[in-house]
Order: sequence, then structure tokens, then C-alpha cells
Amino acid sequence: MATSEQTDRQTGRPGEIEAVPVRHPGRWIAAAIIVVVAASIIRSIVTAKGFQWSVVGHYLFDSRILHGVLATIWLTVLAMLIGILLGVVLAIMRQSPNPIVSGASWLYIWFFRGTPLLVQLLFWYNLASLFPVINLGVPFGPTIVHGNANTIVTTFLAALLGLGLNEGAYMAEIVRAGFLSVPEGQTEAAQSLGMSRLQIMRLIVLPQAMRVIIPPTGNETISMLKNTSLASVITYVELLYAAQEIYSTNFKTIPLLIVVSIWYLVMTSVLYVGQYFIERRYGRGFTRAERATMRARWLALGGASKQQ
Amino acid sequence: MDTWRKALLGALTLACVVALAACGSSSSSTTSSASSSTPASTSTTTAASAGGGANAAVAKLVPAALKSKGTITVAADASYAPNEFIGSDGHTVVGMDADLSKALAQVMGLKANVVNATFDTIIPGLASGKYDMGASSFTDTKEREKTVDFVDYFIAGESFITKASGGATISSIADICGKSVAVEKGTTEETDAGTQSKKCTSSGKPAVKVLSFADQNAANLALSSGRADLGFLDSPIAEYQVKQSGGQFKLVGSSYANAPYGLALPKGSSAPAVLAALKVLMQNGTYSSILSHWGLTSGAIPAAQVKINGAVS
Repeated sequence: MATSEQTDRQTGRPGEIEAVPVRHPGRWIAAAIIVVVAASIIRSIVTAKGFQWSVVGHYLFDSRILHGVLATIWLTVLAMLIGILLGVVLAIMRQSPNPIVSGASWLYIWFFRGTPLLVQLLFWYNLASLFPVINLGVPFGPTIVHGNANTIVTTFLAALLGLGLNEGAYMAEIVRAGFLSVPEGQTEAAQSLGMSRLQIMRLIVLPQAMRVIIPPTGNETISMLKNTSLASVITYVELLYAAQEIYSTNFKTIPLLIVVSIWYLVMTSVLYVGQYFIERRYGRGFTRAERATMRARWLALGGASKQQ
Repeated sequence: MDTWRKALLGALTLACVVALAACGSSSSSTTSSASSSTPASTSTTTAASAGGGANAAVAKLVPAALKSKGTITVAADASYAPNEFIGSDGHTVVGMDADLSKALAQVMGLKANVVNATFDTIIPGLASGKYDMGASSFTDTKEREKTVDFVDYFIAGESFITKASGGATISSIADICGKSVAVEKGTTEETDAGTQSKKCTSSGKPAVKVLSFADQNAANLALSSGRADLGFLDSPIAEYQVKQSGGQFKLVGSSYANAPYGLALPKGSSAPAVLAALKVLMQNGTYSSILSHWGLTSGAIPAAQVKINGAVS
């Protein structure tokens, strides 16, 4: 203190500022409360007898469970692909000036969003009750597909159709929201350049709509991952069905459901990472303000400021 | 004023929807899938009430916790007519097992509350204390005896059913290699079909495709849609459902493995009380009247086999 006072008198310049970082006591109190509550919850989970963690560990990497995980991933990927493609097509159809085309799209979306997914799966699985023989072909032309419904629509195909077609209806609305988010000026400018409707859609609107489409699509993918568990009702051997097969004979229901939950959490977490990178790529050039990185936020908790 | 009108319109629409739903549920005449052609279906209480009042000797054996509760929660998977199914009112569990449970409870000085539960959740539910008894056509097996106690009360085998026209033709369980069989999850039929599949593959024949469904209704649907060639279920249920199907299904092949049904109870608790109550019902004729009410006298258990944990396999 004396040194800086001397400096003041001698040179007339201001001395060094004793800068104290802004204290955030509230942040520390909140953090402490959360840590204490979390610790007691974790402790009660780990020590509760009903969980039978040894059984969980035993079945976590059981070959039947792993097969179920692979089947779940496979079904999710394919169903989402069908859903996204169908969704884009349906959304474009909805934008069409032709009332029949946009009406057909509306009807599809109305029907597949209006019936429960579980009921749709049951219908696809038991399709042979309605159509014992499937005969697909060009009217007055060659037949493309002909055969017994149960042979053509296998359990896997029934699950895929049920999930994919349902997802297509939901994705159509998400893609349409993406189209609505692109300012109309973009379309007008493209039209004044003489671009066709398809070119406008492909080069101008769709790429810009992606930024708004990606977060809900990531949401839908994570949702689809869990919806595949409904396929267990039609005996498709995915993760939940595999666990049910095990616990219906050894009666260890809770530990096996925990195994299933752990695997779903792991798969969902992988999707989180993927979504983060896709969002970053499509968000380029849109927002100026950079969100503070995780590291900077942790440092700020301790009182460090950005200007260091 | 505009907002007020909109709010009023919304409330009016909601009131109409609720009124419609209430109107629908108050009509009780619609029959359920297990139709009302069961013998005297409305008088399901007559068989049970003939059991008389509580028996003092039996009541002494009832565990204190159960006695203080006053009700015994009985779980049954109500997709298995005529043993357990949903009655014509749309929510009460009725059937041979429901009647027997109510009669046993009466003898023990308790009231029975029969609830519907998915079959493969009942034994874990007994182990966790959610239910006090499982009366759901459980076959008494040594595997299940590791988790629960059984009081044997009925004898039944396992039978195959198929579509009446164009269904599979088999003469016994050995012929199911390469066929698809619809079973209910957690049943002995599921296990037996799996065992037979292993026998098939080890002798070079194609495996059995075992399709396990959450309940018997879903299994029957898979059979009627042709997804499965055969249905595999307990014999008395198979006979009853063939009759009820109105010519859609037929029995095929010989029945497999006669084994006792057991009332499932939590380990080491109320089995002696339930056994004593069952013996009382057999003595005073209630047991045979319940069975004949549902057309199941052929499965009446011989007195010598009425015991705790008498699994044969």
C-alpha cells in the first residue's frame, strides 16, 4: 500500500489497482446443495438391494443383449433414413401448388400422426388378416410383387414399415417448419434469377432450412431409438425383447431392465455427440455471438474472468 | 369480449367431449371377446359364495401381516378364458381362478381383490410383495419353485391349436420342427417349445420358430393372421377358445405333459394357510362346483396330489 502511495506522489500516475474478482457466493451454495443431493441419491441407488448390481454386471455384455443392441441400432438407422426421406418428399409435396398433391401429403400426415405407433405396428405385423395375398403392380401392367403377406412382410419389415412410415409423417412437419424459417426474400431472389422450383428447393431453400431442421431431427432420432422398443410387442428381437426373454425365465426383472436402460443411455449419448457436430457445421455463419466454451464457464465458477 | 367468447367455446367443446365419453362407458351391455356364452356367466358369485364363512382352524394359519391387511391381492393374466378373463362389465377379472381365489379368501377370513397383470410380471410381483397370490394357471415347475411356493390345485396339459382350414397338421410336439409357434411370454409352453427346438436342431431338423407375445390375445391374433402356424397353450384354455372361436380354430395333435397348476405364493409365507383352505373347499364341495361351473371337471386334482410344491418337472 505504501509503495503505491509513494508512486502516486512521485510520478502523479495512478498506482496498480488491487483488482479482486467478483465473488459469486450464490454459485458456490447452489453447487454445494446439488452435490450433496446427488451424492445421497447415488448412494441410495448403489446400496439398494432390489437393483442387484451383480446380476446387472453379469448380463450387461450377454451375447443376447448385445445382439439386441445391434438390432436396435440397425432398426433405428434404417427407420430414420426412411422417415427423413419420406418427410422431405412429403414436405415438398405440401408446398406444391397442385391441390391434389398437397392434399395427398396432408392426408398421409393426418393418418400416420393420428393413430398410435403401437397400433400401426400391430397392423403391419398382422397385415395378413387384412390382405392374405399381396399383389403389387402397375395397373393393367406387370406385377412387381406377388405373394403371401406373411412371407413378404417379415417381422423386421413390419417393424421397419411401422416405425419408418410413422416417422415420415412427423419429419414432414419438421422439414416444413424448416422451409417456413427461410425468409421469403430468398425464394423471390432465386425466382428473379430464373431458377426452377426444383433448383430453388435444392440449392437455396433446403440448405438454409437445414439449420432449423437438425435439432428437432436429432430429437426424433433419439426418440426413434426408444420407440424401437415397441417392436418387442411384435416379437422383433431388439434390446427390450432380448431382455424380456431372459427375465421371463429367471424372474430377475429389475436388473435386466437396468441393463436395458444402461444400453439405451449409452446409445443416446453417442447420438448427442453426433448431433453437436452436425449442428455446428450447419450453424456456420449464422450467429455472431460465440457461446462461452465449457472450459471458460468452469473457470468463471471459480471467479476467473474472460480477459485473462 | 372476443377472448371471453373463445374461452367459452373451448370450455363448451371440452364439456361435450367429456359428456360423450361418459355416455359411452355407462352402457354395460357390450360383450367382451370372451363372450357371454359361458354357463351362467352373470352369476359368477354363486359358486364362490357357496363356500360358506371363515374357517377358524384355517384362519389361525394365515400370516399376521395378511390378516391385518384383511384383503389378499390376487394377480391373474386375464387373457386366458375360462380360467381368467375380463367379464362383460369390461374390467372385472372372472373365471375359474378368480372364483377359486375368492372362495379360498373367504375360508381364510379375508377378502380377495383379483387384479389383471401381465403373466410374466406376476412371479416377480409376488417376490417383491406387490401381490399376495398368483392365480393364473401357473404350472408348478421346479424352476419356478425357486422363487415362489405353489399350492397345487388343478391338473392340465398343453395343447396345440391351429387355423380350422389350412392349418398345420401335427400329431404331437415332436412334429413342430420348422414350424412357427405362438406362445405367451413366460409360460411353460414357451420353455417347452424352446426345448423341442433344441431337440429338432440336434437331430438335423430345422428349429422351431417360437414367437413369444405379451398375452394370449396377441398370440391368438398372430395365429389367425397366419403369422404363426400353431398356437401352444394350456389344454383347458385351448378347448374353450376353440369352442369360442366359432369355427376359426381347431385342436390339433395330442396334448403334452400333464402337470399340476399351482397357486403361486411368496416363499415361506401363506402356503400352509392356502393349502388348508383348499382342503376345506374340496371337503364341502365348493371346489367341484366351481370346476363344473366352468366345465373344467376333467382337470380336478386328485386328493393325493393336493400339496405344496409338488412339481413333477
